Amino acid sequence: MKYLYRILWQDHSRTHLLWAFLGTLAGFVLLLAGIQFYLDFKSILKVNRDLLDPEYIVINKKVHIGQTLGLAKPGFSEDEIEEISDQPFADRVAPFISNEFPISAYTQSERFPDFYTELFFEAIPDEYIDVKSDQWDWDTAEGIIPIIIPQDYLNLYNFGFAQSQGLPQIPKGVISLINFRIRLRGPGRGNYDDFQGRIVGFSNRINSILVPHDFLEWANEKYGYYTKAEPSRVIMESKDPTDPAIINFIEEKGYDTIREKLKSSRLNIILKLIISFLLVIAAIIIGLAFMVFLLSLQLMISRSSQKIRRLNKLGFHYREISRPYILLLLILMIGVTVLSLLVTGILAGHFSGVAEAWNLDISSTLHGLIYGTSLGLITLIFIANTVAILLSTRKLCK
Amino acid sequence: MPSMNIRLEKLIPLPMMEQDTTGSEIWEADSVLFEQGKKYIIQAPSGKGKTSLLSLIYGIRKDYQGSAYLDTTDISSLSSRQWSGIRKEKLSFIFQGLELFDDLTALENIQLKNSITRDKSLQDIKKMAGLMGIGDFLHRKTGILSFGQQQRVAIIRALCQPFSYLLADECFSHIDRKNSMIAFQLICQECDSRNAGLLLTALHETPQMDVDSRMRL
Repeated sequence: MKYLYRILWQDHSRTHLLWAFLGTLAGFVLLLAGIQFYLDFKSILKVNRDLLDPEYIVINKKVHIGQTLGLAKPGFSEDEIEEISDQPFADRVAPFISNEFPISAYTQSERFPDFYTELFFEAIPDEYIDVKSDQWDWDTAEGIIPIIIPQDYLNLYNFGFAQSQGLPQIPKGVISLINFRIRLRGPGRGNYDDFQGRIVGFSNRINSILVPHDFLEWANEKYGYYTKAEPSRVIMESKDPTDPAIINFIEEKGYDTIREKLKSSRLNIILKLIISFLLVIAAIIIGLAFMVFLLSLQLMISRSSQKIRRLNKLGFHYREISRPYILLLLILMIGVTVLSLLVTGILAGHFSGVAEAWNLDISSTLHGLIYGTSLGLITLIFIANTVAILLSTRKLCK
Repeated sequence: MPSMNIRLEKLIPLPMMEQDTTGSEIWEADSVLFEQGKKYIIQAPSGKGKTSLLSLIYGIRKDYQGSAYLDTTDISSLSSRQWSGIRKEKLSFIFQGLELFDDLTALENIQLKNSITRDKSLQDIKKMAGLMGIGDFLHRKTGILSFGQQQRVAIIRALCQPFSYLLADECFSHIDRKNSMIAFQLICQECDSRNAGLLLTALHETPQMDVDSRMRL
């Protein structure tokens, strides 16, 4: 059979095949590297996400002049809350409830200066709150209202207000020692009760003055006389805050949220854009290279058409005659696969070194998907070309 | 090997239908039988369809009317795979156009097929080449050999495979009388050892060649 190979390989065009080979190789490296890095970044984002546990996102309606003038509703209707919780990225959704009666707080203590303020309370179910405290429960008999205020409030006082007014800074532990009175007022004169208030924690997640959900429900029942307002904020739990659908949904609905939390989501979108661009380019290159391969082999066959006819006359079947072409193709395909995996592997190793300096954990070895993709694609190209070879040699044979 | 006869029934190539075939013992016959083991010379001037006849039997021309059978098989029913098998094992052809590969040496041309069927040893080939007077040229590229030398390479190649029938198309046209007889005897010897038939076409009368039957085309 070696003569058959010698006869048929004579008519190849080295430059055509070389360019087809290099083109396919470039396309493959681009494609495989793209997939490799996409998987890497995806896992980095995923790791960050796992560290945060599920993310809690507070959503409110954008405040605009319409609400100021009382023309637009600031709150979420039940349908709107329903719609949010129907989104695939929303695992749980809960509306904030707020007080429907006036509240004030004041101190009567020897140790602290007198202090009086009007106040509001909001409440959400306990599982959405990031502060765990054993004092966080409401007991009607005891009459102590546990309160969680934002960490930011304390910071504002300690680092802003106290500093500028020559007042002492207050550590967290001391705050909870401050006893102050909370007055809840129902409708009508003299219809009020005093309770003791106690700050039991500071929240980084929720920018509000929180009291236990069951307390506020009880108090609204007992004192409430405002017309029931729709909740102005809802809290949503999402396992995947990187999901770009969240930002899209919030923007589309004209809602608002603290953007910081959704940063990785934007990163995700940008990453996906870049990668898909890369993949499209890779696909085009591979497509072109595939065409050059196909044409080079067809050219080789048509250059040898006389020899092929002669071999057929001598009793060689077109399948036998195709074998040298298929073998050549196979060698080139194996070359492309091995080289592209090698180059991608080197790239991955190099970039994992660079990424390590940034404390990013990029794998230095290739993902399994890379091997699968290259193997699948090369098999596809191989089969398509083999079919083309068989068809064109058969046409020449009788 | 079971015997393989070649039977033609009202066979005629399409181009011959427009020509005067009066007196042809094949184109005018209802049925022609070539028996395996027997040698036939088909003699005719140019343009009477000698090459066409052999090409039809060998399956490389399909433009004909009537039918041809290899034993009981109608050749029009044969697949490309079956034809390949037949050309490797049953029918050997010495082409008028030689069909050699110029870039290969004489020996490589011979071995091209022999290396698959392993019909002859290198020694056998050298012996045959020596007999035919081209022993010194085996390692030369075929392209630089004279046509007569090439013709002998083609003859040896055709003999280096199993066959039940040898189809030889004016294979002595460029070989001198003495060497033609040597080649003819070699061909007969190879046919006899295989109990194979021979269909030899010739332009002129060939009284010196001893065959079973002579036919006019």
